[in-house]
Amino acid sequence: MRKHKGLKSAALALAAFALIASACGSDDEAADDVSDDTEATEEVADEASDPCEGTDLKLGLAFDTGGRGDGTFNDSAARGADQAATELCYTVQELEATTDDDRKPNLEALSGAGNNPVIVVGFAFGGVIEEIAAANPDTVYGWVDGYLDLPNVKTLTFAEHEGSFLVGAAAALKSATGTIGFIGGQEIDLIKKFEAGYIAGAKAINPDIVVKSQYLGAAGDNAAWGSPDKAKEIALAWYKDGADIVYTAAGGSGRGTIEAAVEAGEGKWAIGVDSDEYFVDTDEQKQHRLTSMLKRVDNAVYLTAQAVKDGDLSGGFKVFDLSTDGVGYATTGGYLDDVVDQLEELKAKVISGEIVVPTQP
Amino acid sequence: MKLTGRARLLVFFAVPVALMSIVRLWSGEDALTSSDTIGASLRLSVPILLAGMAGLWAERCGVLNIGIEGMMIFGTWFGGWGAWQFGPWVGLMFAVVGGMLGGLIHAVATVRFNVDQIISGVVLNLLAFFGVRYMSDLAFVGQPGGGVSQSPPQTSAIPRFDIPVLSGGEVFGWKSPNILLNLEERGWFFVSDLAGILHGLTHNLSWGTVIGVAAVPATFWILWRTRIGLRLRSSGESPVAAETLGVNVIRLRYLGLLVSGGLAGYAGGILSIVASSYYRQGQTAGRGYIGLATMIFGNWRPVGVLGGASLFGYAEGVKLVANDAISTLFLFVALAAVLLVVAAVVNRNTTRGIVTAFVAVIAAYTYLAIDDVPESLTQSLPYFATLVVLATASQRLRPPAMAGIPYRRGESH
Repeated sequence: MRKHKGLKSAALALAAFALIASACGSDDEAADDVSDDTEATEEVADEASDPCEGTDLKLGLAFDTGGRGDGTFNDSAARGADQAATELCYTVQELEATTDDDRKPNLEALSGAGNNPVIVVGFAFGGVIEEIAAANPDTVYGWVDGYLDLPNVKTLTFAEHEGSFLVGAAAALKSATGTIGFIGGQEIDLIKKFEAGYIAGAKAINPDIVVKSQYLGAAGDNAAWGSPDKAKEIALAWYKDGADIVYTAAGGSGRGTIEAAVEAGEGKWAIGVDSDEYFVDTDEQKQHRLTSMLKRVDNAVYLTAQAVKDGDLSGGFKVFDLSTDGVGYATTGGYLDDVVDQLEELKAKVISGEIVVPTQP
Repeated sequence: MKLTGRARLLVFFAVPVALMSIVRLWSGEDALTSSDTIGASLRLSVPILLAGMAGLWAERCGVLNIGIEGMMIFGTWFGGWGAWQFGPWVGLMFAVVGGMLGGLIHAVATVRFNVDQIISGVVLNLLAFFGVRYMSDLAFVGQPGGGVSQSPPQTSAIPRFDIPVLSGGEVFGWKSPNILLNLEERGWFFVSDLAGILHGLTHNLSWGTVIGVAAVPATFWILWRTRIGLRLRSSGESPVAAETLGVNVIRLRYLGLLVSGGLAGYAGGILSIVASSYYRQGQTAGRGYIGLATMIFGNWRPVGVLGGASLFGYAEGVKLVANDAISTLFLFVALAAVLLVVAAVVNRNTTRGIVTAFVAVIAAYTYLAIDDVPESLTQSLPYFATLVVLATASQRLRPPAMAGIPYRRGESH
């Protein structure tokens, strides 16, 4: 009798789990979306049946933590892959590094499946990619934010300091209080480039501006990219203290800054990073999204795919900067309309070399 | 030197505040006891506090719960999903249910099937981490702003309020005076620090936070003042004796783990609904384990857990909101340690005297030698403090006697 009762409770637990899982699955909106998706792919297939006939180009995409749908860094890479799929006839295979331990098996799987090129998103693949690239000499890797010169790795780096310079200038032009802020993710050289450019841009407009600066975590602390609650606390304190614009280069943590701006009210702004975050904001948040520093990972991914398609299998460094629109700033929302001319002027000066933006704060 | 209960409470509260005040006046860093810092600390403490309470409920009924982190993950996901679909209050309820689901899994595994309690907890953490990814794939992918690692942002939030008279809250449209803020701004010794702390605790409060803090008195009352609480604790102290007296140990352990899961789930809900307005993978950031540390720190008692969680929350709050003031915290630690050395000398407790003297020297040296405290050091500060407390107080800590030992019904026969 007792055994019976125990089994019953176990079955109940299972049933509860199944119920919840199915409840999520049969969610109406999600179901609609799935059918939309299938329609969309059918359409693409119909449309593209002629140009893509017979091609078997395969592109592997190894996301960093967060993956497709993170609204910033990984999404930018995803857009590039989508473009390569529709315009260059690539079949895209995606894998996301849910934990650090996934990085190596993901790259092995993508290389083993015959994808060429394999796009590797994020500096954190360092230490893994060397080995994989050496073991697969015929595969070309496009390493976003990479830092090593390897024979079959196209290391795709960005002049984040130049893009940050322009949003820093925009912040200084729009700031009413003369105090702005910067929140970084991990305290590493890559993110310090954002900080250095932002501060330099702000000071170029207003030498007396006060720029507060704070990092969410030490090097290696991956929670720094996913702590919106902590970014929100910092931003709330700064907004209250007189800062009116805060730029956040910390992946998903940046959502906390825009929430703080909404909470702090009229005249408080947040600046997004990597993708144009205006598009993932709620209507209320859109009122506080001054601009976003665009890091065109999508361009880098697309151009790498194109180069491989055209037979360029070499490695080496590729830098995407202001002159090639590899970085930039967003004007969605129209909040920068009155200062866009000044920003374009600065942009021209950076491109011509008249202004050299520092990479260290 | 023996103090009565009330005098001890006064010493434990007033002395640190006075020390803080001295440090503040000395260094000129007003942020140490400002209402902004304290408010942030409160908001950062609550998830840790609830995780600690979850551990307390589980271990008090006799089951170790390493799976708090996993239950919190369930809470963040179900909370984020519920709040996005149906609004924040329903979201919080979903978070509790999600956590209870985790608690139920742990209970079935450990209480019914006698699976090793550590193994079950670890498995639960993994199950939660990957399980919610699967569910995100079903529920969030393709939604605007959503993806496999995060939910779309919620459009409404739990309301916040200020307490009337003390912190300028509104009563029926009448704007009451803000007495505490007024006092805080004067910069007086002790009084302004106290006012800053109280103002931080009484303004811009979310109802979600208030309910979370209410778990402390509720837990104390249920576990130490009711019959069912006594029986639940006896299941953790001596299940054999409890069963011979007619207590249904198995049922109480199920109950304890369900409450534990619910609290952990609520902690997760706070993270995805109150502290931010979306679910994101990794949002719990190890708070479940920190909660367990506060439970040990707090000697398996609610008020102790509150103290431990406040310590972690305050260190985090100072780090985030008053980063410039963090080095002065070492000065505070040094002064507090010196006082403890004096107390140890008076009590002729050599071991404690040596340990605290050692801490005082290190803290004083850090304060004098380091201008710019590196990020990695500030992050380890609360853990450092926990270690110090454990080192000095571990002789007096006492976990429930039979926590972690499987119990089969009828074992006493």
